[in-house]
Amino acid sequence: MVKNKTLGYRVGNTINYIAVFLLCAMMLYPFWYLLVLSFNDGVDAMKGGLYFWPRKFTLENFKTAFENEEIVDAFIISILRTVIGTVLTLFARAGVAYALSRRRFWGRQALSFFFYFTGLIGGGMIPSYILYRQLGLLNNFWIYILPGMYSFFDMVMLRTYFQGIPDSMEEAACIDGCGSLRTFFQIYIPLSKPILATLALFAAVGHWNDWFVGMFYITDRSLQPAATLLQRLISQVDLTKMSNQQIDAYMQNQPQTTPEALRMTFVIVMTIPILCVYPFLQKYFVKGVMIGAVKA
Amino acid sequence: MKAKARKEKTPQNKSLFYEQKIRPAIKDIKFYRGLYWFIIPALVWYFIFWLIPLYGITLAFKDFNYRDGLFGNDWVGLKYFKTFIANPQFWMMIRNTLTISILKMILCFPVPIIFALMLNEIQHPLSKRIMQTISYLPHFVSWVIIVAILNKFISPYGGLINELREKFFGLTPHYYMGDTKWFYPLIILTHNYKTMGFSSILYLSAIAGIDQELYEAAYIDGAGKMRSLLSITLPCIKPTIVLNFILNIGGLLAAGFDQIYLMTNPSNEMIANVLDVYSINVGIKGGNFSLATAVGLFTSAISFLIVWATNRISRRISEISLW
Repeated sequence: MVKNKTLGYRVGNTINYIAVFLLCAMMLYPFWYLLVLSFNDGVDAMKGGLYFWPRKFTLENFKTAFENEEIVDAFIISILRTVIGTVLTLFARAGVAYALSRRRFWGRQALSFFFYFTGLIGGGMIPSYILYRQLGLLNNFWIYILPGMYSFFDMVMLRTYFQGIPDSMEEAACIDGCGSLRTFFQIYIPLSKPILATLALFAAVGHWNDWFVGMFYITDRSLQPAATLLQRLISQVDLTKMSNQQIDAYMQNQPQTTPEALRMTFVIVMTIPILCVYPFLQKYFVKGVMIGAVKA
Repeated sequence: MKAKARKEKTPQNKSLFYEQKIRPAIKDIKFYRGLYWFIIPALVWYFIFWLIPLYGITLAFKDFNYRDGLFGNDWVGLKYFKTFIANPQFWMMIRNTLTISILKMILCFPVPIIFALMLNEIQHPLSKRIMQTISYLPHFVSWVIIVAILNKFISPYGGLINELREKFFGLTPHYYMGDTKWFYPLIILTHNYKTMGFSSILYLSAIAGIDQELYEAAYIDGAGKMRSLLSITLPCIKPTIVLNFILNIGGLLAAGFDQIYLMTNPSNEMIANVLDVYSINVGIKGGNFSLATAVGLFTSAISFLIVWATNRISRRISEISLW
């Protein structure tokens, strides 16, 4: 790197640093603000003036959220679909990708072309919806998993990765008497952890965040995932403005929390799992995005 | 034992074709027989979840009824396309969709490029990494959450923005979501917020791939930082930019369903109603499946045309194309 230390460069560089820092602070602040609100007493928060730190610290919002049966049920559905969906789809895709990556696999080219072709055009949402209806998938837990089982994009990424592993691995396993399935599970899967982690992250985030399926394909409230429930909660009318007397009157009843604080807590609870996972996989998914871009 | 028996039968009377094609194929299939346990479910899945809906597109030219489902039904030709175009809302929806898409193209597409250039100038590795991590966060959270946050900030009832307006300027609270003037700016703002960081990955990696010697040569020739940015960095990442632009243009008529659906309310419906949302409202909510399929097909066809045209233009001008 060239060391260019003129005054103009230094000024420009400093401005750039500050600008990027401010931008990132602005990106992070909304989440911080919500965190403050969710740890602050709900009734107290209605008075406003909360910016950087909780004024009346409480865990009551979280307690109320986790005592609410509808919310807990929704999170159970979300966790179930995320775990089952991610594991199942990843194995299915990896298996197909592995088969397509073997040079001597019979039917490889025809299948590759077929899967590529199917990625280009599709039936669209409405015919799919009617199909799900006829299959009895509406109001059925499997609607979360089955329609998204295979994705050509993921399979290409996996296939490219498998092709990068030396064939001598497979030959050695073959000589040792390993069948093709066992070679796949015991040698190739453990060797592909980085790509599997990346794709698992994207699949899991997709499942966790999806509100659409729960909204339009599911009418049974006991099957709705957390994202759909959150959507329903926030689309309910805005909490009407209360005067100070009303706030005092409200406080006379000694409520534990307010619907508003509960909603913000809900948002935080939905964000935390994502926050705990993606920074640690950053190295991998950045590489994944690059490979994907080259392929696309 | 079986293999042995077959070997004895094979000799001369079998054709050359068998020896050269069929036998190795059988051998390969046998060798990888375990893997067909993955292929067969995939084929079944593609038959059900891809081929049948693909056939279902014909519903756009048929009268759908519940008894016949996806198959059967009577052909009605272009009836539903005519209904759709004759709809007084048709031009309004086309206008809204195009307005939102073009605004996004102009005001959102360059933002990740600029952000990547800015990030690239940060030499301190740890701060660069931390800032990147922060900027990726909105990509990973749902639109539901982004819209929830937006509502919380601009709500007229105790929203942060209105609170500050009142405190510092003494203004009365403003209902931003109900004000049509604010709808497009808010769409652009939230879109940038969500996609800026993550989209910059692509450009950052393109910048990282530039040969450092170019910069050194430029420096020796007396080029400043700005000069090398304009004359080296930008031309070097141009292919990435153009390819990404073409890919983005394919989604021109999609306009971003999640975002718009979640931000629409009765007061901004007039300028927020886009083709995708209409298709859902008419089909899944309204039960008019044939019309909704026609709308979907119409959207896909136009999208394809746009991509094809852009690709052609791009190939002429810059010799960069998708295919």
